[in-house]
Amino acid sequence: MSISRRNFVKTTAIAMATAAAAGSVAGMTGCAPKQNEPINGDSITKTLAVCRFCGCGCGVIVESLRGKVISVYGDPENDSNRGLNCVKGYYLSKILYGEDRLTKPLIREDNTLKGTDEGFREATWTEALDLVASKLRETWKADKSRLAYWGSGQQPITEGYITSKFWKAGLLSNNIDPNARLCMASAVVGFMNVFQTDEPAGCYADIDHADVFITWGANMAEAHPMLYSRVMTRKIKDANVKHYDVSTLGTRTGATADKVIIFGNNGDLAITNCIANYLIKNGKYNEGFVRDHMQFKQGTEDLGNAYEDGYDKSEIGQKVDDVEPITFEEYAKRLEPYTWEYASKISGASVEDIKELYELFANPDIKILSFWTMGVNQHNRGTWVNHNLHNLHLLSGHYCKPGDTGFSLTGQPSACGTAREVGTFSHRLPADLVVKNPQHRRYTEAVWNLPEGYLDPIETPGFHTTKIFRELSNGNIDFLWSANNNWAQSMTNLTRFLGRGAEDKKGIFDAFIVVSEVYPTMSTKYANVVLPAAMWIEREGQFGNGERRTAVFEKAVDPPGDAMWDMWQIFEIAKRVLQDEKIGGEDAFDLLFGEWYDKDAGEFKHESQRETCKSIWEEYRTFSNPDMNKRAAAINSDADGKFGAKLKMEAKQLAPYEEYIYQHGMTWPVREIDGVWYPTKWRFAYGDQKEGYDQIGIEKYGEKDLEKQACFYKSPDHKASVVFRPWEPPAELPDDDYPFIFCTGRFLEHWHTGSMTRRVPALLNALPEALLDMHPTDMEKLGLKDGDHVKVVSRWGEVEIAVSTAGRTQPPEGYLFAPFFDENVLVNLAQQEMYCPLSKEPDFKKTCVRIEKVQAQSEA
Amino acid sequence: MSAGKVIAGIAAAVLAAEGAWSVAGNAQSKLLRPPGIQSEADFMARCIKCGKCIEACPYASLHAAGPSAGAAAGTPCIDAREQACRLCLDFPCVAACPTGALRDVEKRTDPNAGYARIDEEVCIAYQGYRCEVCYRICPLIDQAITIDFQAMEEDDIHTKFIPTIDPHVCTGCGLCVERCAVDEPYVPIRIITLAESERSGARQ
Repeated sequence: MSISRRNFVKTTAIAMATAAAAGSVAGMTGCAPKQNEPINGDSITKTLAVCRFCGCGCGVIVESLRGKVISVYGDPENDSNRGLNCVKGYYLSKILYGEDRLTKPLIREDNTLKGTDEGFREATWTEALDLVASKLRETWKADKSRLAYWGSGQQPITEGYITSKFWKAGLLSNNIDPNARLCMASAVVGFMNVFQTDEPAGCYADIDHADVFITWGANMAEAHPMLYSRVMTRKIKDANVKHYDVSTLGTRTGATADKVIIFGNNGDLAITNCIANYLIKNGKYNEGFVRDHMQFKQGTEDLGNAYEDGYDKSEIGQKVDDVEPITFEEYAKRLEPYTWEYASKISGASVEDIKELYELFANPDIKILSFWTMGVNQHNRGTWVNHNLHNLHLLSGHYCKPGDTGFSLTGQPSACGTAREVGTFSHRLPADLVVKNPQHRRYTEAVWNLPEGYLDPIETPGFHTTKIFRELSNGNIDFLWSANNNWAQSMTNLTRFLGRGAEDKKGIFDAFIVVSEVYPTMSTKYANVVLPAAMWIEREGQFGNGERRTAVFEKAVDPPGDAMWDMWQIFEIAKRVLQDEKIGGEDAFDLLFGEWYDKDAGEFKHESQRETCKSIWEEYRTFSNPDMNKRAAAINSDADGKFGAKLKMEAKQLAPYEEYIYQHGMTWPVREIDGVWYPTKWRFAYGDQKEGYDQIGIEKYGEKDLEKQACFYKSPDHKASVVFRPWEPPAELPDDDYPFIFCTGRFLEHWHTGSMTRRVPALLNALPEALLDMHPTDMEKLGLKDGDHVKVVSRWGEVEIAVSTAGRTQPPEGYLFAPFFDENVLVNLAQQEMYCPLSKEPDFKKTCVRIEKVQAQSEA
Repeated sequence: MSAGKVIAGIAAAVLAAEGAWSVAGNAQSKLLRPPGIQSEADFMARCIKCGKCIEACPYASLHAAGPSAGAAAGTPCIDAREQACRLCLDFPCVAACPTGALRDVEKRTDPNAGYARIDEEVCIAYQGYRCEVCYRICPLIDQAITIDFQAMEEDDIHTKFIPTIDPHVCTGCGLCVERCAVDEPYVPIRIITLAESERSGARQ
């Protein structure tokens, strides 16, 4: 008998008891709509918000009374969710009231205790800000390559915008990257390469029109709960609607699918190429769509894998983005090796199953909606799989009609709105602009009122996420600031990045690390300074969700104790770091931020957060409304012919701030007709703007009489790029020493690293611990039974976890799955750190591991 | 595996206890028993309150019923909300029982301690929220609990994901009760114990 099982449960019970105590404040709060009677003349305040968690971006209404949130419920007028939520959304109010909220700045006094919650003292804001700013300024002046900011797809839009402006224009540094690099980067590079613009063309309403759903590497039932509810609605309404789940393991999504196709060995690349091959060979592709809308390319191949720190600068690493044009015939020729048999042999999927998928794309009379997410993106060839999925939809013409499109599902609430649209990446500027392109830098300088050429020093991209943490561990980063994320739990290869591995990889202990946070997390354990932040609706903010919907969340209550709005933290640090710095003879801080913040008075210039956000938004909105700025407009239209290309910035047009409140969120591009602002639901599809089609965009920059009335107008010749991407194997394959493939992911009850949801007693109780799902045959072979503790051991590290055959996920033999929400089971200790060479997004899905049974001690 | 442990004399005691059981109180019938219970009367007749099953449980799920249980005080039971049975594949509690009060379980589907029932008024899945914690946590997922998809009447884009329990497959382990995400005004899922269903007639 195993004492470890008993101890394990006891630990959980203690954690739950703590959490239950934490809920005492929130105990008075309900969650669903309630008829709360005002007390003593107090009145309930209702404010508008969007859910704090996933990329679905469900709207919610917040009710607060006497400074406390008393209920949160679905916003019936938000078109993304129309009034419903998942169980995480149901408990939104309780994330604010965990008992261990950070309410005072903390300064680490004892560096030997780094990696623990100990060794801190409470500090005043002045003291903490002075310290942080002095360290940042010192590093900045000494060597700009040794500082970094790690942001988030959970950072509100205006905060991300200001952070990016501070880093890119204030510090002239590109060492800023978000956790969206771990999530959507492969999708981004795919979109940019294919359409020259980022984010899906369709919208959630596509679900209501589809005849066939195909989920590729997407456990929507758990990771996109309310969208999956909409998928099921479509299936219930029409018995002919079918769902195919193409996956590497059985999930709750597969459990409801009409057909589950299990593959391995990067077989997604082979299956997609095989379908494309036969579409062309059998004349089943859409000729008109190909003629009007497509150009063909091939790119660098045989990329190897990004294991080495120096991969990006290696000979192959520098060529990974290169592409060259080929003819349609040449493209077809490249596909030829992908026969049914070859694709089946590579992938493990049957010929019949691949043919069945092919028959769908070969049928022009049905509407196919493909969804894909982390199984595709977190992949050593993630960008390539994104390409191949777009290729299928483009070749077959299953694109640009409601219900007939490829849709990349977003993970985080503002991965689109902030990380991608604002561009808080090491290589980007706002609104799809990139640092490398001189026209893009000129445009940004215009909007930011900088002297021409001022941004030329940031022409070269900075450190992407893995590079930041690799260099941190190598001792090459002196200053790191993170906010709205929990890198010490969510990064790959934590054994290395937390300094638990080789003796010479312990730079994390020497670097000065600043963490803006709302609760103690794994990351705050490694902080030198912890800055307590306002959480979610304790300030005003904005998220942009997975269907390009921008939405505002209003401030409902004050943050607890001394916790402060991140915006204030950024301004206060920026004013100290930029003290006495000049840009074009003007005070640097005032030029960049003087519109909003009075550095001498130490206060915002506007009377409310609403006014501050609105004013920042107006500047940000200039990026997509060039007519608001003469200098920018000239660069956008290439007025003097200097650049030889128009920027077409209106392609992502955003509306005035209040419109997003009035309309409960809108999907961009947002267009004004006779004083009314209309969203665009179906981009690149011509039709009435008022019905949600991309009328104005196509009339301005495209052609409206092409096949299917589509036009990919963001690309110079209006043609999407079909790039041939071959099959290449996973970075490592199972062998005798590491015979299992280890995949990690997310479950419905918890959001990401659980720093919020594990503090909601009901959610922690619902799913208290991470378990390792294993096939029963493997359990038997290894002599394991449910609840036994094992070590998952990879070439990189190891983690102890209890095994389960309970069946929530159903891995095939030789495959393992564990979620990453549990701070007590850091699954990423065993994860490899290798990434897709194009997107630099790590592969969290297929580290090779072995299982070692943890010997149970006999009970005394 | 445990049938061999049955002591011959107990059979007579079972018969004697049948009568006593019929007048046993409601409190006793609500006691959720460990895996391997055959009927409440059989169990009461055989259990000698030795506590061996309680000691054997690796999850500390079992405890002795308190004085309020009357004649059943000291017998093993489970507070499912506190710590449910995990349906261990080796059933250490059953193996430890010296009298065969717990017996005849080989597979996860064998135990018959009761079955779960959901209160539709309180369960949030019935309101359209995507919850289904009970379903995903069920050791017999897609067997004891399945999802019934019901179109929402008031909303054309959402479906109710209704957890639906098959009382003939459900073993009454109570893990759904332990994990249920709702507790206001009360936990909307509970186990109808074997004793309760014996009192009220067949499983519905």
